[in-house]
Amino acid sequence: MQIAEFRSGLNAWLDEHHDEIAPRYAPPGTLDEHIEQMQHAKSLLFEAGWMRWGWPERVGGLGGSPMLRTELGAAMAGRGLTDPGLYSLVEVLAPTLIDYASADLAAEVVPRLLNGTEIWCQGFSEPGTGSDLSSLSCRAVPQDGDAATATSWVINGQKVWTSLAQYSERCVLLTRTGPPDSRHRGITAFFVDMNTPGITVAPLEMINGAFEFAEVFFDDVVVPADRILGEVDGGWAVAMAILPYERSSCFWQRTTYLYHRLQLLVEAAPETDVAAQVVGNAFLQLHALRSRSRITQHRLADGATLGAETSIDKVLVGLAEQSTYDAVQRLLPGVVELDDTPVGEAWRLEYLYSRASTIYGGTIEVQRNIIAKRLLELGGTD
Amino acid sequence: MDPGERALLAETVRDAVEAAQAKASGPDAVDGALADLGWLEMLDAEPRDAIAIVFTALGAANATATVLDDMLATALGVEPRSDLAVLLPTFAGWDAPGRVVGGRVTAEGLAGPRVAHAAELLIPFAGDDAGAATVPVAAADITEVHGIDPDGGLHAVTVGDAEAVSVAADSRALEAALALGRRAVGHQIAGAARAMLELAREHALARVQFGRPISQFQAVRHRLADALVAIEALEAALTAAADEETPITGALAKAVAGRTAATVGAHCQQVLAGVGFTTDHPFHRYLKRTIALSGLLGSTDAIVLDLGRELLATKTVPTLIEL
Repeated sequence: MQIAEFRSGLNAWLDEHHDEIAPRYAPPGTLDEHIEQMQHAKSLLFEAGWMRWGWPERVGGLGGSPMLRTELGAAMAGRGLTDPGLYSLVEVLAPTLIDYASADLAAEVVPRLLNGTEIWCQGFSEPGTGSDLSSLSCRAVPQDGDAATATSWVINGQKVWTSLAQYSERCVLLTRTGPPDSRHRGITAFFVDMNTPGITVAPLEMINGAFEFAEVFFDDVVVPADRILGEVDGGWAVAMAILPYERSSCFWQRTTYLYHRLQLLVEAAPETDVAAQVVGNAFLQLHALRSRSRITQHRLADGATLGAETSIDKVLVGLAEQSTYDAVQRLLPGVVELDDTPVGEAWRLEYLYSRASTIYGGTIEVQRNIIAKRLLELGGTD
Repeated sequence: MDPGERALLAETVRDAVEAAQAKASGPDAVDGALADLGWLEMLDAEPRDAIAIVFTALGAANATATVLDDMLATALGVEPRSDLAVLLPTFAGWDAPGRVVGGRVTAEGLAGPRVAHAAELLIPFAGDDAGAATVPVAAADITEVHGIDPDGGLHAVTVGDAEAVSVAADSRALEAALALGRRAVGHQIAGAARAMLELAREHALARVQFGRPISQFQAVRHRLADALVAIEALEAALTAAADEETPITGALAKAVAGRTAATVGAHCQQVLAGVGFTTDHPFHRYLKRTIALSGLLGSTDAIVLDLGRELLATKTVPTLIEL
């Protein structure tokens, strides 16, 4: 399947099935409605085959370039069928299972994520562990025997900023299995069922009023050893393997979504020179980001190992997202601030959410540190 | 050209431009070195790589040459010659510099160093019947521009009234030439910006204050990181403009180039501090060159305003490039 052929076929299908797949709620909708819509769209797209392209056949996919699924995510984001932030969990967590779970486990669970049956979350950050991920302390110890022989492990600790934890059937969880100061060398990844006894989820209200992320508490949670992803003490590699997907496919999808937002803005903004300057600037930043993201996406598809250079993509996406919503606030006075209609409510939620784009996934300061050390070779620490 | 060949050619061109530049100031030595390397043949056979490699090298060495005239003449359908200069739009704008009425041409614009010795001037002209025409250089009033970048070789040119000899170019050729010219200037800025960043980086690693190299201060590191982000964004926009050759991708690449020049110039100057403020250090030449180049074929502000008006008028935001 060629990408251009996929794109045109997909767009024709989405046009034809618009009424079935479009959101059934009135915008802006609640998070519950957004989640239900995403799962509904995924199930229709899986059934029609579109959701299976770009994934390996051994997990229910139809094969082909990973760029096919990037294209699908971008089409969904661009048409307002799913929120790209919610959808991105598919793109970052399914590859983790494919690469690091046993073949049987991956074959069992990945199709359930793709077809809209399940939602998964990512248990990485902790109260004491934000940008400095390798300092995490949520502890896993062998229940019977040692690390090599144990058939189950016991997990104790806390995670935070875990998006969609309260909706999730499973969690890709990073735990400390080495000594407390073992940093990235003593981390192990688990695939945990969220209905396991001892797990408590406490949703957090975000600045925009949504309960998208949560605190997750683990009290003597017993997890079978066959749910370890990768090697014991090899969890850092699992966490880092997520980066290429987050920084390529997810950014391309978010970029497409931002073009859609700028499109809505130019439909509503006044035709003044001030507006032209503001819109033109946002367009310039989106174009620079899209140009960069496209190159990154092609490098990944051509087999390159993505690394520190994707921090550049991360800086560009954070700033472009904020300047898009800054443009909205400037050109539609009173909409973000006062408008209680559904349109105003939608812009307000997104405006407030966009403030996080230079915080999540490693703050913009951490990205600049990485660029300075790894790309400019200025020495010193990250 | 595969990536290995491309890298090798880039290195060869860069070395040749640097060596020529070291030999003599002015465009003759650099033009000669590029001619020896087969610039016109490269432009004919592999225009995309030729433009990227040659103009990046000119920027990196802060060299002056007249290859932009060759490239624009070719795009306008005229055989390039060393005695044929091309008239550029006035500073910051991009309207075709000429007007033709009843076979007579008037024009106002800028020209590169070639115009000082050229026999003919090729003038793009606007209007319903847009195209390009040649006039004898003797018919033009030409003043050398010193300005902020005295080594840049720019000239202010006016043509009061001269007989126009039209060439075959049409409005599409004018658009294509503008987009190509913008890419060329964009690559030149990218090459110069990388050179400025390298100067600032070396300084930051060597300069010790408060008992340590200033490269260890996060405030310095973040400025240099942002400079690199700006350069990489420009190079990506240039790639997009070459992959999807349209007026709008060319305009965007030039707008990003101006933005990058300003960002990189400001951050690197601040990091270089007092040292970069003297003419003993090479930084000032790059800064001045990129400031001058930023206004050629459209300033960032003017392009952004024009694009923004277009988006608002059409109520359409095109994504322009696909995977």
